[in-house]
Amino acid sequence: MIRRLRHISLWTALTVSLSGALYSAAMLYGIRQDNDLIRQLMSGKDVAVNKVIGGEPELRLARAFYFKQKHRYDEALSTLSLVMDKGDQKFQAKARYNLGNLYLEQAIQQAKAMNINEALPLTGLAKQAYRQALALDSGNWDAKYNLEVAMRLLPEMDRIDMPDEESKNQKSQLWTTVPGFPRGLP
Amino acid sequence: MRILLIMVLSLLGCSGSIDQPVSYFNVETPRPFGYVNGDEIPQRIVIETRPGITLQTGSLPAKGSINRWLNLNQITVKQSGRRYQIDLLYQVFYAPLEVKSLTLPGFTVQLNQGEKSIGQNVPAWSFTLSPLRELVARQSEQGEYLRPDSPPPLLANTQAWYGLTASLAIAAPIATYLGYLYGCFPNMTRRTVFKRALRKLAGLSKTDMEQALTVIHHALNSLNGQPLFASRLSDFYRRNPQYLQIKAQLVWFFNYSNRYFFSDGMITVAQDFQQLKNLCEQCRKIERGSR
Repeated sequence: MIRRLRHISLWTALTVSLSGALYSAAMLYGIRQDNDLIRQLMSGKDVAVNKVIGGEPELRLARAFYFKQKHRYDEALSTLSLVMDKGDQKFQAKARYNLGNLYLEQAIQQAKAMNINEALPLTGLAKQAYRQALALDSGNWDAKYNLEVAMRLLPEMDRIDMPDEESKNQKSQLWTTVPGFPRGLP
Repeated sequence: MRILLIMVLSLLGCSGSIDQPVSYFNVETPRPFGYVNGDEIPQRIVIETRPGITLQTGSLPAKGSINRWLNLNQITVKQSGRRYQIDLLYQVFYAPLEVKSLTLPGFTVQLNQGEKSIGQNVPAWSFTLSPLRELVARQSEQGEYLRPDSPPPLLANTQAWYGLTASLAIAAPIATYLGYLYGCFPNMTRRTVFKRALRKLAGLSKTDMEQALTVIHHALNSLNGQPLFASRLSDFYRRNPQYLQIKAQLVWFFNYSNRYFFSDGMITVAQDFQQLKNLCEQCRKIERGSR
């Protein structure tokens, strides 16, 4: 009886470990395929959308990278926005840094074309993205540098409170309390 | 007189601090220079209180933005007995044009003593921040020089490799053992024929001569692949020439076995049994290749 049990358990263990090996091998193959796609995107060749849709966030990040290289900013932005809160902290910091670069590059282009109204909000968004990236990974020197570029482009000033603000208020209050002219009697 | 003097002095030593709620207070900060935009600055405040005094954690600065250029990213309070260790992690976002002195604002930590509340001041701390870019920034071909995008990371496959290696490492010995059980390694079993025979012989004595002879016969048979008789020994030597060196002993064995089983009144002697054992040991040596 014990021999029979041992025999059965040996076969079960063999089946389980072999299926584990098969699963790991399949995973390795999948990772290899995805890495090939990432390399292809980085070398400047597009891949089919359906391969990216169900895939890992790294694939989308690679596709956004590709779009940015080709100056297709809107598509890059929509792709990046899908992976913002995916992956681990390091990955999120990377995604936010790339998002900052995306905004800043557009802001610089708009500023060059003297479209200041478009450039200002874009720079603000870039700064916000870099700040978030640095909060996640304070050792990201590229983000530090580019944040400084953005901050020089749109310097931040403390709001200066005018010392005579209060007296102005008082004056305006005075005016509102001045009574109108009395109506004459009929 | 001397004792009196010591008592007076020790009383004087205590009198200054006995009514102070905080027995130890220290602010530990790193170097006050060499920071750049986006750096994190840690600050550690250590407070040791007198008994009955507790820290009011609500009085510590809140996580988040402190002012336009300063964020408080993390605040942890560790308490061990009456000792409080407050770790603050600030992050600076400021782009100075030249080395600029900035100040981490001070605050007041509130300590509770029953109904009473006592304030302990944490002083402001000044440090200098350096710019990362030159004043007139260099230009690249595209205009403003920017650091490039960070390339997307490749997917890590270490986990899958570990899984594959581990499952194969488990599967291989199981498969080998099963193969052994199913008789897939006939050479291996043939190489342990006399090992097993020796083990059986070890448990026998001269009174079990019949069993001992059977064991050796059985071993020789399984080595030969078919029953081995004295008349077929030459065939056996042709197939296993290494056993020729114990030819004399084998012949003795077959004669002895013949006499034991087929003639009456045979008395077994300890010496015969020892010789049987010797034969088996010789065979074992040949089997494992050491002779």
